[in-house]
Amino acid sequence: MKLDLSQHSLMLVQGLINPDSLTHYSESDWELLIRLARRVKLLGRLTLLVKEHGLWNQVPPRIASQLTSGLVQVEKLQQLNRWELNRILWALDEFNTSIIALKGIAYGLAEIPYATGRLSVDLDLLVPKADLADIESLLTVKGWRHRTLSAYDERYYRVWSHEIPPLVHVERETEVDIHHTLAPLTSRLKIDTRLLFEAAIPTKDKTIKLLSPVDMVIHCAVNLFQNNEIANDLRDLLDLHDLLVFFSVQDADFWLRLTDRANQLRLAQIMFYGLHFSQLIFKTPVPGKICNRLRPRPGKLKLWIMHRLIPLALFPQHPDKPTLSASMARFVLYLRSHLIRMPLYILLPHLIYKTMRMIRLKSGNNHSHPR
Amino acid sequence: MVVNQIPFREFHLLLLNQGLRVAIGPFNVCIHTAYKPLAEQLYKLYCHYRMAQDEIAEFHVRIVTERSFKNPFKKNVRFLLDGQSPFGSFPQEQALAVLEWGINLAIAVRVNHLLLLHSAVVEKNGHAILFPAWPGSGKTTLCTVLSNRGFRLFSDEFGLMDPRQRLFLPIPRLMPLKNESIAVIRRYLPEIVMGQSIPNTQKGTVAHVCPPEQSILLSKQAAKARWIIFPKWIAGSQSKIEAISDSEAFMLLASNAFNYEALGATGFLAVADLIHSCDCYKLVYSDFDDVMDMLHKLMNET
Repeated sequence: MKLDLSQHSLMLVQGLINPDSLTHYSESDWELLIRLARRVKLLGRLTLLVKEHGLWNQVPPRIASQLTSGLVQVEKLQQLNRWELNRILWALDEFNTSIIALKGIAYGLAEIPYATGRLSVDLDLLVPKADLADIESLLTVKGWRHRTLSAYDERYYRVWSHEIPPLVHVERETEVDIHHTLAPLTSRLKIDTRLLFEAAIPTKDKTIKLLSPVDMVIHCAVNLFQNNEIANDLRDLLDLHDLLVFFSVQDADFWLRLTDRANQLRLAQIMFYGLHFSQLIFKTPVPGKICNRLRPRPGKLKLWIMHRLIPLALFPQHPDKPTLSASMARFVLYLRSHLIRMPLYILLPHLIYKTMRMIRLKSGNNHSHPR
Repeated sequence: MVVNQIPFREFHLLLLNQGLRVAIGPFNVCIHTAYKPLAEQLYKLYCHYRMAQDEIAEFHVRIVTERSFKNPFKKNVRFLLDGQSPFGSFPQEQALAVLEWGINLAIAVRVNHLLLLHSAVVEKNGHAILFPAWPGSGKTTLCTVLSNRGFRLFSDEFGLMDPRQRLFLPIPRLMPLKNESIAVIRRYLPEIVMGQSIPNTQKGTVAHVCPPEQSILLSKQAAKARWIIFPKWIAGSQSKIEAISDSEAFMLLASNAFNYEALGATGFLAVADLIHSCDCYKLVYSDFDDVMDMLHKLMNET
């Protein structure tokens, strides 16, 4: 299948997979590139690439300062995330449990290439469901609080979600998302979390673990194609690409392990999408026949539809010229993400509630306080 | 090319089509709007700004109009930064205030290659004077007076410091006078160009003052800071200036900055060095002439 990308998307992906081509970018190309990269949280990544490829002196000064600004922000957020993790481990020091770091913080601990350029706002952790209540009350005693939630949102998290309402320490601002499984409870995916904990790998700091490489890859794909709405999630697909490249070099049997594990966890279809689109967009070197090992795979029609929709949603819209087709694709994928997350009898009231709330928010003039 | 060198028609067309690019200190801002009253106000108040149509713009902002949800016969305006809306909609009369706040917000959340102190800055004889203060301490009012009485305006809001060269960069923006300050300034400086008063904003009534032409023309000339003065306007007070310790000044300055924490060690070293090279004071005042006497005395002492 061929990829049909708009001009501005091509420009973004070219810069990411072939940074040397950036030397041919005009000033107006650069200006647009920065806006697009920022929109999909890849400004920090772009900065790392420009430096790594020795292009820093060829970048227009106004662009260099924006790249610097982007990387400073990324580094600050990563520092805040590491400190928050440090505090969580301190707070749970006496409690014997198993904590697995997820997403950005995990990529940093695993020293995945380019993890230092990843914009990670929240701290994501996975804990055993049996310990969840104890962990939550311990953290509450030591100063973490839930943000004020509507009764509906509270119920949403408690009954249907794979995480509890976000926690924030009273003295800090970093949001801690504590998960007890990897996909919403209402979704058709039933993930055996025990298998993940059994395979988890300890880090230098004994109290925090990482998902095994194959599980880390699978979670990345689940998060992108199951939990998110895919709009502007190019960063997450690039995460997947980075993980695949890094682990496949380290372990000759990686691809076999990955496909076996996806089949075992019954996440084959999602892993298929992950491999397919990572290869299609970022030219990930996925071995030829490896996808055929995944069972079940999406049917031809389904894949054709996803093929039309996913790139339109993953890539940012042109900031000055948004297109209707991209907006439609995003809307369809928004509905899809909800449909696979929850059955219709939950979904319909949920969407009605969300729509009503949006209208209420829009009509109340504004509650923010711009400086 | 400066804004007042082109006719309004051309100015308006730029705002409508490819965007008007103006140089505001070290940044270029690209502005779009189809709302004509805003175009007219900008034409008047941005008249001295340099146009930068062929240069890279760091900020792409837009003011769009939309129907109010509550009252379909009323129009609201919304600020967009790269197509994203960071805050809600406002009555259309507030368009200029919303645009100016929006640009400030964009600078405050995005710029990290410079240290952003929350401070008014003016310059005289090559030395920058910082007036760091919380909102409501009267820094905009003080800045308006000083910049029209022989001091060069850097900013009424952002102390923009290059952390390596330890230089302050001018970023002369419109100065939004609030509430009683508007009448005070009209009385004290009857000659200055001021936009229309915009009532009922989140900060009360606001009227924008155009920075002096000289301040905009010279906005590429950076300067080192020599004095840091924490001002506080108290009605009817006897003007008083007293030196404060370096450590107190450090805490006041660092705790009232936009991105001091984000810059980490770079920010710490820059602020430490800044405090070290400046004389720091606290100022209480109610009379502008007193303040100018005090400033001239400070400057003559060195």
